[in-house]
Amino acid sequence: MNAAFVTECQRICGDQAVLHEPLQLMTYECDALPHLRQAPALVVLPGSAAEVQAVVRLCGREGVPFVARGHGTGLSGGALPVPGGVVIGLARLNRVLDVDIPNRRVTVEPGVTNLEITRQVAPFGFYYAPDPSSQQVCSIGGNVAENSGGAHCLKYGFTVHHVISVEAVLPDGELMTIGSPAPDLPGPDLLALLIGSEGTLAVVTKVVVRILRKPESVQTLLAAFDTIREGGAAVSAIIGAGIIPAAVEMMDRLAIEAAEAAVKPNFPRADTVLIVELDGPAAEVRELFRVIEAIARRAGAKTVEVAQDESQRARIWKGRKAAFAAMGRVSPNYYVQDGVVPRTKLPDVLDRIRLLGERAGLRIGNVFHAGDGNLHPLICYDERIPGQAELAEEVAGEILTYCIEAGGSITGEHGVGADKKDYMPRMFSQDDLDVMQKVRDAFDPKRLCNPGKVLPTPRLCGEVPGPYRQHPVEAAGLGERF
Amino acid sequence: MSATTDRLRMSDLARFGAARTPIADDAIDGVMPRALVEPETGEQMAALLAWASTERLTTVIRGGGTKLGWGATPRSIDLVMATARLNRMVAHRHGDLTATVQAGATLTATNSELAKEQQWLPIDSAFDAATIGGIVATNESGPLRSRYGTPRDLVIGVTLAMTDGRVVKSGGHVVKNVAGYDLGKLMSGSFGTLAAIVDVTLKLSPVPAASRTLVFRYPDSETLSQDAARLLASQLEPVAFDIRVHHGSGGETHRQLLVRFATSPEAVDAQAEAARSLLAGGTESIAQPEEVIWRDQTRQPWTGSGAVVRAGWLPALLPRLLDLVDELKGAGGRSAGLHARVMTGAGLIHLDADDADVERAVALLRSRPDVVSNVVVLRQSAALKARLDVWGTARGPAAVLQSLKKAFDPAGILNAGRGPV
Repeated sequence: MNAAFVTECQRICGDQAVLHEPLQLMTYECDALPHLRQAPALVVLPGSAAEVQAVVRLCGREGVPFVARGHGTGLSGGALPVPGGVVIGLARLNRVLDVDIPNRRVTVEPGVTNLEITRQVAPFGFYYAPDPSSQQVCSIGGNVAENSGGAHCLKYGFTVHHVISVEAVLPDGELMTIGSPAPDLPGPDLLALLIGSEGTLAVVTKVVVRILRKPESVQTLLAAFDTIREGGAAVSAIIGAGIIPAAVEMMDRLAIEAAEAAVKPNFPRADTVLIVELDGPAAEVRELFRVIEAIARRAGAKTVEVAQDESQRARIWKGRKAAFAAMGRVSPNYYVQDGVVPRTKLPDVLDRIRLLGERAGLRIGNVFHAGDGNLHPLICYDERIPGQAELAEEVAGEILTYCIEAGGSITGEHGVGADKKDYMPRMFSQDDLDVMQKVRDAFDPKRLCNPGKVLPTPRLCGEVPGPYRQHPVEAAGLGERF
Repeated sequence: MSATTDRLRMSDLARFGAARTPIADDAIDGVMPRALVEPETGEQMAALLAWASTERLTTVIRGGGTKLGWGATPRSIDLVMATARLNRMVAHRHGDLTATVQAGATLTATNSELAKEQQWLPIDSAFDAATIGGIVATNESGPLRSRYGTPRDLVIGVTLAMTDGRVVKSGGHVVKNVAGYDLGKLMSGSFGTLAAIVDVTLKLSPVPAASRTLVFRYPDSETLSQDAARLLASQLEPVAFDIRVHHGSGGETHRQLLVRFATSPEAVDAQAEAARSLLAGGTESIAQPEEVIWRDQTRQPWTGSGAVVRAGWLPALLPRLLDLVDELKGAGGRSAGLHARVMTGAGLIHLDADDADVERAVALLRSRPDVVSNVVVLRQSAALKARLDVWGTARGPAAVLQSLKKAFDPAGILNAGRGPV
């Protein structure tokens, strides 16, 4: 990184807000996907939208790629630095600018955490609906980039359904409002396009979110089943009865064991647990909860535990939300996958995953949003055993193949980022990807804004794809390419 | 003129679908297209757009033809590409609560098909013939948006015919999916300026087991606003919560709140009771059948003559909006009205008045950004349209919109000159 560039960044953001020592840069080498690492050339920590704008303009002028970063909790390498590039860390932009209860909205800077919004409005009886498991630490800017969901998105939708407008610095350095405070801005919905674009179209500097009135009543049950199929049948029957619960989550035996070891939620010893939560007006929850309990029992639930109070409910959710990290208790290493299948295909795909695990000799725990078919297989491995980390990664890739074959998606909420861009051609044709590239180029013709993410790097003329190399999964006869 | 007449021989167009010479009903704002083509596949649509691009033929995409009056007056139209023959439901995956529908299928037909599995697409259109493609492209919405959002919130995948002749996809068949850019959202509100929608995959909802609507009348705006605020602050969850104001030609004024609960039977009853005690300032009116109430609420702005203006406001500004609507009536015209969503701050203002009065009213609305914004004139006389900027100034970042337009429609044939881009 040339000295003049560093000096200019220091002039814009202040000396303290520009990091260039190798040790300082190490912190920014990766997000929560630690196996992809790249040290940035420089990290800047702007303290205002104007500073973000000045840095982006400078990058544009000098042709330096830049990557926006929130709190680094992303699971797809979306904030992975670019060689020779700048990381624009937004952690200092962490002010809550406006809490407007009458108009049901909160205006925050991108570094404010997801949960902080709910904290701000809870005293008024409101909350912010999207609730990713990382909500205590993840930033709202990151949520906008990833279109984050959470356990309750079955009923309440994703970040895109809860953001009213953003202020963002576009790659050309313009500071713009995207969206409108009032509804029905005419024209193509750029706000909805921007949300979920994984930091490739703009750097968000302010977010206006919609808040919801806290539901009058919440009820949660935990049902234990002998098989995943029985649990799945219960979920189908609930949807078939015309009920959209606030959340429908399932965990398998290994995930239950791990959660038990980590946070002791006192889950029943079972092959599968199903968590169903209803919220809304008290009369509605009361009436529908009876239906759901009956469905669970009819589907063969061994036990049905209804949370009697808020602490019991919190305990159930603690067990569920701790499941990822809890894997560390039962395995030295684990790989979290994120794939989606149409909900009705869940039992078949889970069977395939189980067989895959058996053939590969790796344990796979399953935690999933059963209501919307979003799977999170946790592939256990031991990096000390040569080849096992690679095998786990290949198994994770094979699971995505199952998801695509079932008519699903390679990511439901973690994003494509750097991690899955090479899977994009399995889901989309070259023409589809070309049009996405056109959209990107319309925003960022110089291709400086988080390059190398989301879309596979286009091959140059005459460049041939890398040599065919048999993967361990193929060598073991566990899967094949297509 | 962008092309010579002989280039538009029907025999040339036949490879893109059924082609015919337009009749009087095909005119848009009085402008007669030179030919009308009804492709039968997405590939034909894309091929037609590619050919039209090469030949620089301006093209308007038409679904049910119900909202073609929205937008600026076209200078000329070479082609109308109609989606009438792409009107199938491709798939209804009821266990997954999703459906894929071709652009030319009507909302009415779609919902009667979905009803076989007690599911529906909770979207309102003011028009019987409105198609899924047109509803998505215009993001038309109504009372149900209070609970279910606008069409853009329900689109989970699209197939598009591009002007370069390609047929492309984005999204998919699953509700939860963040792989790649969401081009379906980009189509929302694009008014056929970027690409043609071939089919749409949508998230569905179960049809509620029970539904009940309450209507309350108010003597003045203040009482109405107070009641509206009370219901908003409560934990009741109506699927629709609307306001209706009508200043009639005889000086009479009607003010109403309309509340609909739709969920399980006991919960509907309990919420209706709770709403009755909250909305104490109003007089409950004798209820018509529920379907009639909401049908009227959705369609009234469009029945009869007069201008229709769409606008948005912050929900807490409702009292000031009501004052502004009173002021519109005071400024002239035969009647004025408001049909709107209380929770979101979105709706239609209706004005039956002479052109000069409508023009003044639009200017008044646009001069009050402290109360209303996104003021778009959806219907007015042809003479007035020629003078008015129907879209207004607020349209998002111009540079990006222009780049997108150039990337998607480099020849500038799609909905040329009619906007919003």
